[in-house]
Amino acid sequence: MAKVAYYPGCALKERSSHLDRSARDATKILGFELDELDSWTCCGAVPPVSKERVMNLIASSRVLKSVRDSGRETLITICDFCYNTLKRTNFSIRNDEIARKRVNAFLIDDTPEREYIEKDTSSWQDYTGEVNVVHLMEYLRDIVGYEKITENLKRSLKGLNIAAYYGCVMLRPYDEIQLDDPENPSIIEDFIRALEAEPVKYPYRTECCGSYLSVSSPDASTRLCYRILNSARENGADALVISCPLCFYNLDSRQKAIIEAYPDFKPVPILYFTQLLSVALGVEYGRQGFEKHYVDVTPILDRINSSSGNGGE
Amino acid sequence: MMKRIGVFVCHCGINIAETVDVKRVAEEIQKLPGVVYTQDYIYMCSDPGQSLVREKIKEEKLDAVIIAACSPNLHESTFRKAAEEAGLNPWQCEIANIREQCSWIHKNREKATSKAIKIVGTIVEKSRLNESLEPITVSIKKKALVIGGGIAGIQAALDIADSGYKVILVEKDSSIGGHMAQLSETFPTLDCSQCILTPKMVAAGKHPNIELMTYSEIEDVSGYVGNFNVKIRRKASFVDWSKCTGCGLCMEKCPAKVPSKFDRGLSTHGAVYVPFPQAVPNKPVIDKENCIYFKTGKCRLCEKVCEINAIDFEQEDQLIEEEIGAIILATGYETLPLTRLAGYGSGEVPDVIDGLAFERLLSASGPTTGEVKRPSDGKVPKEIVFVQCAGSRDPERYMPYCSKICCMYTTKHALLYKHRVHDGQPYIFYIDIRTAGKGYEEFYVNAEEDEGIIYLRGKVARIFRDGDKTVVWGTDTLSGRNIEIAADLVVLATAVVPNESTAELVKKLRIQTGPNGFLSEAHPKLRPVESINSGFFLAGAAQGPKDIPETVAQASAAACKVISMFSRDHLEQDPAIAWVDEDLCSGCRICISVCPYDAREYDEEKEIVTVNEALCVGCGSCVAACSCGATQQRNLTDSQIKSMLTASLGGK
Repeated sequence: MAKVAYYPGCALKERSSHLDRSARDATKILGFELDELDSWTCCGAVPPVSKERVMNLIASSRVLKSVRDSGRETLITICDFCYNTLKRTNFSIRNDEIARKRVNAFLIDDTPEREYIEKDTSSWQDYTGEVNVVHLMEYLRDIVGYEKITENLKRSLKGLNIAAYYGCVMLRPYDEIQLDDPENPSIIEDFIRALEAEPVKYPYRTECCGSYLSVSSPDASTRLCYRILNSARENGADALVISCPLCFYNLDSRQKAIIEAYPDFKPVPILYFTQLLSVALGVEYGRQGFEKHYVDVTPILDRINSSSGNGGE
Repeated sequence: MMKRIGVFVCHCGINIAETVDVKRVAEEIQKLPGVVYTQDYIYMCSDPGQSLVREKIKEEKLDAVIIAACSPNLHESTFRKAAEEAGLNPWQCEIANIREQCSWIHKNREKATSKAIKIVGTIVEKSRLNESLEPITVSIKKKALVIGGGIAGIQAALDIADSGYKVILVEKDSSIGGHMAQLSETFPTLDCSQCILTPKMVAAGKHPNIELMTYSEIEDVSGYVGNFNVKIRRKASFVDWSKCTGCGLCMEKCPAKVPSKFDRGLSTHGAVYVPFPQAVPNKPVIDKENCIYFKTGKCRLCEKVCEINAIDFEQEDQLIEEEIGAIILATGYETLPLTRLAGYGSGEVPDVIDGLAFERLLSASGPTTGEVKRPSDGKVPKEIVFVQCAGSRDPERYMPYCSKICCMYTTKHALLYKHRVHDGQPYIFYIDIRTAGKGYEEFYVNAEEDEGIIYLRGKVARIFRDGDKTVVWGTDTLSGRNIEIAADLVVLATAVVPNESTAELVKKLRIQTGPNGFLSEAHPKLRPVESINSGFFLAGAAQGPKDIPETVAQASAAACKVISMFSRDHLEQDPAIAWVDEDLCSGCRICISVCPYDAREYDEEKEIVTVNEALCVGCGSCVAACSCGATQQRNLTDSQIKSMLTASLGGK
């Protein structure tokens, strides 16, 4: 089976390991394996926003260089934050000569410790951005193809109305990410359509969920999440599908606070795109970690059961 | 005997002198053999500067002069004229460009100075071998072509025609009138657009010196200033206009429903139609794409009802050739399509329209006969949001420039809306209010202070439909607050962009445009209505966003340039072009294949290739291609180039 280099990132190793599992399950059915890097570090999460041109790029550059040195060209991530960080770091390395020189100068000093990353005895070669950082959603669109997904469906999601939520970092900044139109994207809707569910368009699909405000001012995040979820619900969504663990945390767990603040609010089940894919490809519900969700997804699962007529469990 | 050469080095104020040590340039050049006089001066192009050149030519008995200054594009003709006045052949005057190609692009004074010395030294070498030449005179076809039948084209055509010259006015649509015909009332006086435009349309249609060619496009232009050959494609209208009386019966009976481009899709007409009732000429065309007969082979209802048998389904495009002396480009503008504005609904929200659509809603002859009704359900909007700079002043995503007319027309829109819906509330989001124009500021102040329009300084982030409302998220930077308005109608002042057909036309005409596709003027300040390509003149929004007064002024100016050209008996052309040494030419004809201007012709009798002096522009392609050295460029011969190269590399 074809293997593609895979960077899980911190969230998917710990708190959201069930999402990592669903991605591995689903991709195997589609004929390729997510091959986790032998050793990897934190991507750095937020630092690409900084204008500083060394320290914020080091962590991701190490990861990217190790992929290049292992002779691979493509690196898949399934987390929007990792995707954004790795891709933007790569963009800086490719396009900013000063950043490229500084980062490599730092990494070469770092070589004695390189074994910490990956055993490497080859002669030094500057990392110049050779790796392509790809979001699994992008890989499904461009390499696998939506037709192949549809062909492999074991459980059709026909009859389900699913709203896509894009968050902030998957599409922006456009010049560096170039995944889809940040103002009017369609990649998640097209993915939903490939699973034979009906995508729901609603105005808040690209608005902020509050991101890290969840820590410093949770009320602000609660208000933002309420607007997103309520708008999706009012436009007929049965569930929301997302591709970022932090959005997942905010939009799912925060529904507890939302119900307290807005008594009229009706909960909306949240699904990670890998869970939805994995479910549609026939992986049993028990492997999805649905018990970790704050909002019960059973009503959705029940409807999948009834509509396709082959339960799964 | 060696030529006596004089060199004059210009400071150009500080433009050159700040970076280049002009005194040293003069000193070093003085050392070259044959250079008998050098002098630097603060402004060579000024009257005293030119006088200096004239005096020294006489005093020093100069055979050639070199002006080390700005680009020859700017002042070559100025100095050649001065030299001629002093009795020198104009082609013995050369320009050494030490501004655009030296001082403006360098910072290091030492290096720039030594480069300037090399540049001037190179021109000294050229100058030694320059011949005295006589200009080539060519005749002028005193007939103008105006491309585009909007207000710019109409005005230009009328001005030329009134001065007694013939004009062909070509318009791609079936009627002239352009965007101005779509407008309701015009700022700042609020006079009705139709009332001031339609008399001009009629005048253009009836003028004995104007030949109107609507529903026509330019197929090809060849030739040169004074003598263009133009091919015009008259598109098949499938209606014999010579028979048609414009009774309108065919339009009444046509069962097809086509969205009206003129009404910005807010109404429909048949497949046989005139764009608007006041059209000139008032003759219908059949839209082949949407005609039921052309699509299915059945119908021909229009043919049955036409009593004079003017419908002709067999009609074909006609190609018409014309000889033209000068061409005015008045191809106008379009506005950025709503589909490009993803954050503002991508054109999918029915109650988000653009400024031109709102003009149609306001117009007494529009789809709602002047009542403001929104497209989705025909209700009168009670809250209406106008968004300025929709796609303008946004270099990252859209157009970097200011579309110029939107501040004024949006204020006008809000004002006219208030006049029609007294209890309505208009809001205007703006970045800056720009009202530079006679009476403009007063118009805006009145609207803001007395008409109850709410101006919000800030940009709009997102527009979406929520139920039957259209929600606008924006920010008010003056209060620092985010604003959400649940509006009934949103009007976007979309960016002004060049008309779609302009890009294709400039390719055929080989004329220049700027980075945003607007036509380039020869000089932004001093030659604003001419293209750098001689014989082409510019009018209206095709050159950049403009309001009506400015468009009309530019159109008249362009017309005036054409009239001034036509008032002469002949034109003079630069003789510094290719020539052929008949003894050397082998008749291989390589030159014919490389000439972009069709200026090389094979002489069957002599078995050599000659140069058509009227067509040759001196580009040098054939000179470079000629394998036996028979073709040479006058005053830029191989031996001149060789010694210039040596000098430019610092050799002797």
